[in-house]
Parts: sequence; C-alpha cells; structure tokens
Amino acid sequence: MRPATLLRLAVAGTRTDVARVLLTALSAALATLAGLAALTVLSVVKPPGDAWTQSEQYTNALLREPGLRPGVAFALLLLCVPVLGLAGQCARLGAPGRDRRLAALRLAGATPGQVTRVAVAETGVASLLGTLAGLAVFLAGRRLLHRPDAAGRLPLPTDVHPAPVAVAAVVLGLPLAAALISALLLRPVATTPFGVVRKVRTQAPWPWPGALILAALAMFAAIRPLLLWYERRGAVDPDWLVPTLLVLGGLTAMIGVVSGTGWISYHTGRLLHRHGRGPAALLAARRLAADPWAGSRTFAALLAALIFGAGAAGMRADFQAQAELTRRTGSGLADPDFFLGAMDLVDLAVVVAMAIAGGGLLVAVVEGITSRRRAYAAQVATGVPRATIARSLLWAALAPAVPAIGLALTVGYLLVRGVMPAPSTGGFAQTICDAGTELCGDPATAARYTRTEWVPETTIPPDVPWDQLAWLAAGGLAAVLGTVVAGLLFLRAATSVEELRST
Amino acid sequence: MSTSHVLLGLLAAGPRHGYELKRAHDERLPCARPLAFGQVYATLARLCRDGLVATAGQTREGGPDRTSYALTDDGRATLDHWLGTVEPPMPYVASTLFAKVAVALLVADVNQARAYLIAQRRAHTQRLRELTALKTAPAARIDEVVAADFAIAHLDADLRWLHTTLDRVTDWHREVRS
Amino acid sequence: MTFLQARGVVRAYGHTPALRGVTLDVSEGEIVAVTGPSGCGKSTLLHCLAGILRPDAGQVTWRGERIDTWSEAARSRLRRTEFGVLLQFGQLVAELTAAENVALPLLLAGTGRRAARTAALAWLDRLGVADVADARPGEMSGGQQQRCALSRALVTEPRVIFADEPTGALDTLAGEQVLTQLVRLAREQNTTVVLVTHEPRIAAYADREVSLRDGMIDHTGLGLDPALPGGSR
Repeated sequence: MRPATLLRLAVAGTRTDVARVLLTALSAALATLAGLAALTVLSVVKPPGDAWTQSEQYTNALLREPGLRPGVAFALLLLCVPVLGLAGQCARLGAPGRDRRLAALRLAGATPGQVTRVAVAETGVASLLGTLAGLAVFLAGRRLLHRPDAAGRLPLPTDVHPAPVAVAAVVLGLPLAAALISALLLRPVATTPFGVVRKVRTQAPWPWPGALILAALAMFAAIRPLLLWYERRGAVDPDWLVPTLLVLGGLTAMIGVVSGTGWISYHTGRLLHRHGRGPAALLAARRLAADPWAGSRTFAALLAALIFGAGAAGMRADFQAQAELTRRTGSGLADPDFFLGAMDLVDLAVVVAMAIAGGGLLVAVVEGITSRRRAYAAQVATGVPRATIARSLLWAALAPAVPAIGLALTVGYLLVRGVMPAPSTGGFAQTICDAGTELCGDPATAARYTRTEWVPETTIPPDVPWDQLAWLAAGGLAAVLGTVVAGLLFLRAATSVEELRST
Repeated sequence: MSTSHVLLGLLAAGPRHGYELKRAHDERLPCARPLAFGQVYATLARLCRDGLVATAGQTREGGPDRTSYALTDDGRATLDHWLGTVEPPMPYVASTLFAKVAVALLVADVNQARAYLIAQRRAHTQRLRELTALKTAPAARIDEVVAADFAIAHLDADLRWLHTTLDRVTDWHREVRS
Repeated sequence: MTFLQARGVVRAYGHTPALRGVTLDVSEGEIVAVTGPSGCGKSTLLHCLAGILRPDAGQVTWRGERIDTWSEAARSRLRRTEFGVLLQFGQLVAELTAAENVALPLLLAGTGRRAARTAALAWLDRLGVADVADARPGEMSGGQQQRCALSRALVTEPRVIFADEPTGALDTLAGEQVLTQLVRLAREQNTTVVLVTHEPRIAAYADREVSLRDGMIDHTGLGLDPALPGGSR
C-alpha cells in the first residue's frame, strides 16, 4: 500500500472521527507542552560553583535551587499521565463506526495487517498534528512569556532552550509511541470482513487489586528503612534506588486502585441489585455487573490524579507539622514557607490533571451513550422514559465512583505517610543568641547574649488534612457528576427514532 | 393448462396460421411444454366446431396448405369471459395463473387486465387468511396443518411472482406487444 | 367515537418523505396488517400511530383525543400503559434477565419488585418461556427473545399492540409460534393489533390488510398507479 493511500484511508471518516482526531491531537499537544517544559527546566545551565549554587537569574525559587529542578521536571512529566489517559479514551470514541469502516476495508480485500496499519496511521497522524501544534504554542509562549523584571530576572526559564535533539525526540517520539501503543492495543482485535471482534473479557474482575495496593504501600514504606540501613553501614545508597521505588510504587498503586475499581463496580452492582428500588437502580445495577471494567477505564486518569492529590495533601500536612516544630523548638526546617509555596504549585498541577481527567470522563460518557444508542432507542420506543435511562446512567457512574474516590485518596495519603515519619527533633542542647544580628554576629559581644538551652525531644505528628482531602473528594465527585450530566445532554439526540430504522 | 384459451388469446391480435400459432405459443409461454403441431390443429378443429374460431382464408405459397384462422365474436366473448374470471385458489393455482396473467397482459385492454389482477390478488389473500385461520385453530390436526402449509407456501409464491411481474411489467409489456 | 385513527398524516425524515398523507381507521378489537414493499413508510405509520413519532402534519386520534400534540412524557406513559410495542429486535435490555425485562413496565409504573416479578413470571409461563426467566437475552434463541418481548408488551394488558415486523429475524416455525400466540392472546382480551409486515403469509394472520406504497395508501394492493386507468407504471 502506498503511503498516499494509507494517508487517505486513515483520514476518511465522519464527524465523530473528526472529533476523535481533534481530541487526540489536543492531548498530544498538551503532552508535548508538558514534556518540552520539563526539558527546558532540565536544561537550565548550572552556573559555575559548587553543587548548591543557585541560578540567580530566576525569581522562582523552584528554578533557582539545583536540587529542586529535577523534581519540577519530574512533576511536569507526571502531568503527561492523565493526558495520555485522555488520549487513550479518545482512541475509543466513535469506535463502532471506525470498526465498521475497517471491516468494510477487509471486505474489499485488505489484509488484517493493512487494516491495522490504517488504524495506527490515524492515531499517528493525529498525534503528529498535536505535537507540532504543541511545539508551535511552546515557541510562541517562550517569546511571549519572556519578561524580565526590573532586575533582569525571569519568572520562567525562557532564556534557555532544550537541545534540538531532545525537542525532536519529543515531537516525533510521541506520535511514534502513540502509534506503537495503539498497534499493541489492536492486537487482540480481529478485524474480519463481518465486523470487528474483540476478545471478550472474563466475567469476574481481577481478583487481587488489594494485594497490589499493599505491595505499593510496602514499597513506599521500605524507602526509609533502606536508607537507614545504608547509612548504618556507612555506604551511599545507589542513585537509582529511591526513584525506582517511588516510580514502581506509584505505578503499582495506580494499577491497584484502577483495577480495584473494577472489583468495586461489580460488587456495587450486586449490592444495588439487592437493595435498590425502582427501575433506574435495577438498570444501573445490571449494567455495572455486566461491564465492571467500563468504570475503571473511565475513572483511571481521575483516580491517578486523586492519588497524587492526596499524597500532596499528606506532604503539605507534613511540612506544616515541621513548621510548627521549628516554631516550637527553634530548630528543624529552615524555610518551611518555601516548601509550602512549592506545595501550592503541586496542588495547581493536581487541579490541572483533574481537569484533563474530566475531559477524558466526558469522552467516555459520550462514547458509552452513542455506542449503545440503538438499544436505548428501542427502550424509548417501548415506553421507558428517557428520564429513567438518564437516572440509571447517573447511578451507574456515581455508585462506584464514591468508594473508588475514597480508595484513591486513602491510598495516596497512606503512601506518603509511609515514607515520611512524623517530624521530630530534640534531645540536644542548642545555643541561642538573644540579641539582634549585629550583636550576635560579633563574637566579642555575642558571648554576653548567648545561652544554652536544652531542646526537649518533641515529635509533632502531622494532622490528617481532612479539609484538603474533602476538597479533593468533592472535586472528584463534581467532575464525575458534571461529566455525566453533560453527557446526558446527548441522550435525546442519540435516542431519536431514526436509530430504529434497520435499513 | 387450458390450451384452447391460450390459442384464443393468441388469435386476438389478428388471424394467424397454425404454424405461426405454435411458434407464438412456444415463444410467449416458454415454461409450458412446447405444443405439438398435432395438438394445435386438433385444438383449432375443436374451436372451429364450437364456433369460436373460423377459417379466414387460404394461401398457397409454394408449400403445404396454410389456413388462416381468426377469432369469431363468440370466440372473443369466451376469451373475455375467461379473462374476467378469477382462478379459484383452491387448493392452489400453478400454471393456470401464469397463462392467464400472460394472456391478460398480452391481449386484454389495460382496464380489463388491471381489474383481473386486483381481483385475483384479493382472492389469493382471502384464501391465505382462511388457510391461516384453519391452521391456527386450536382443534387443528397435524395433517390439516401440513396440508394448509403446502397450500400457503404455493399461494405465497404466486403472490410474490405477481408482485415481481408487475414490477417488470413495463419491459415485458413492450416486448409482448411487438 | 373512533378508536384509533390517523388522518392525513405526513412525515419526512430530513428531505426524504416517508408518509405523504395517510388516513386510516382502526376499530377496537380488530387485527390490521399494514403491508407494502420496503421503504413505503409502514414502520413510520406505526410509529406515528403509537405516539413514538410526531407527524409533521395531520392528526392521530386515540379514543377521540389527539395524541400527536401530547408531550413526550405523556406519550411515553401511553406506550407503557395502554399501548404495547413489539419490534423486530433490540428491545430487550441485554443486561437484565427475561423476568426483569418483562417486569420493567410494571416497575416503571411504580409496582413493587415482588409483585412485578410475579406478574412477569405468569406471563412468561403463558407464552411458554418460563424456563428462561432468569436467563439474559444473549443466552436465548431468537424465538424465545421475541416471546419474552411479547410478554413484556402484554404485561400491562394494553388496549393496542403495535408490532413492527416481529417475525422478521425468525425462521418460519418460530415466527409462526410468536404470531399464533399474539393473535390468540389478542382475541382473548379483545386487544387491537396493528401489525407491520412485508410478507403475505404474515399478513394472513390479520383480519384485514392495508397496503402502502411510496407513503400513501394503495387500494390496488399491487402498486398499480391508482390515477392512470392504465395500471402499468
């Protein structure tokens, strides 16, 4: 097949296909922006000096501290996760129509390999459009946001640019990765001339998400003991140890929570069936039990964002406790306000991630309604009111969402609590100078004002940040509720009688 | 199959020789068994005796005798009567229907053909209804149901053929009239 | 007072006209077959009569009242109380069991779970599919599915049943079973039936037949042009 033919077949499609391409491009653009931003942060040139010299040209302390920059880059890269989740959701939008088109291609004589290539090309082309757009926005943004203040300092690292090789890797690598992933995802799908057949999942949801969650908690909890173990032996822990445990533990936790949602959906369905009243609850209960994975696919990105949000809340509580400790004993964290400010940025990132996850939710809800519109139209024709169908969809979304959100928040919080013990200090003598800096600075005069004080051992356990967690839970529920209600606006159009015409 | 009526129909367009009649019959009604000459002349003789057909003249063109036959008024009336009568779909109709529809479209004026077709269809559907009611009666015996099914299947086939034929009628009409 | 009536009903899908002025009277207790080739508008006529669709022009009257002006909610309620609808396929909720599907109209009307299930099982038994009461539609044959769908249409004891090619996806014997039971139960309860089909042998189950062609009533039944004395088109 010639590349031109491949391209033409890949871009053929209806309005839903156009929507899918646009959404895929959008998510690719967002991911590119996040990736390029991360690369820029990483490429800030360290000024000459020792390992702790700060890059003074930036106003933002996050960019000055050389130790913090990798963390910032990592956080930006983490933003890619919900964006990629959105892209994965988008790949399913309009899938029945596309599957019919692929089946028709097979009927016309294409081999299964050729058909897979067409589908993969569509994802690749859409992602490429997105990454190029993202690059354009990035370059324009750099120019626009380059605003030195009075002292010539910059708020954002707009004076450096990442290595062109790295930029090319992101702009070209993302579409390639998207194409590869969609090729992998399409492997269990057999495209026959009579339609697309997906390998059906077994009925019962995966049995051991709880074990995964426990494993993740264990991985995080093991970090401190391992570090202490190395310290006691006088050795330096290897560079890769902590980041690996963090990343592995994080991923395991996410997989555990997401697959736990499948288990939750299935059993919520059964509970609802036993105790629910009314036809809406019945429809919702049966729908949940029949397809428990629909929920986990939909909620995955949102739950990942909530895990991070809860972890951030835990860290914030920890810093607050450290600040309190410093206040009480005079020792401890030097500049807690700085870290609290950094947490504000992390919270902002979490909100953005939740918004992106909300977009993925909306796509999933709309796709769920349009792919079953024929069944809904038949039900409406035989007298089931649209309001009942709408209520059943709401139940089916909210009933598993509430426990899943609770689970995600708990897991996120516990992960952080496992790593960082309660801040404590004390058990030593401290010298304090009671006079001002001038007098204390001069050793001659300082001696008169110094005194030694015994700092008692104090441990301040951090509070559980209930209000923050409540905000996160409310935000998550609002996202679910909002997207389902928005998706229900499609219901009337999707269930019109035209769907019943079989010709 | 009522050959005499078909021959009457073929003569409605004008006088013909026996040989032409046989050829016309075989061409226009290809599903029927081809008519033997003996049968043609025997039928023509019978029709003459009954006063439905008369000899119209003799030509001698360097060959055997060729007598032309033409339709009489009585013959015309018999033909019209046959065309105006609905074939009772009892138990089923088969080739008589075919013959009648063919002749109707060939010779009759269009009003006559139309009236016949509508009436025939109505008779068929009425009979279908009766057979279905018989079949679904609670006291129906299995052999009654099986017989009814047989008749229903054939009547259904007749109706389908009727509909399809009318959908093709424009082309057929043109060809038959030429 | 007329029972069920359509007067000059016109309906188009976008630019395609489906009905071009159809007038039809249905009496109480009769079984009417609406026949015609595909695309002639018979399903559309059924949808207009059952209140699923609103006609673009004309009126649909039920027991003297115009139902084409009713709101969607009122017409929806009509469809689960006084009207029963039977389609060719797809009307059973795939995730519910047969008993739950049949009980659904009762649940929608506010009946309790237990009472609804009892009624549902009784109807499934009358139609001879009590043994699949707890199976899902995907686990049944086509004939069993249609009989469950028929139970659902009958469970509210409607006055009119609208059936749109109910046997279209079934083989001869299975279709015969469904129709026989539909007709028998309808006659027992003096229920009116409007049956849409393109097959003469299915139409033979009805008391009378109405033919449509190109969106209008065809009195010839054969698609002959009513205006021309010619008859050939």
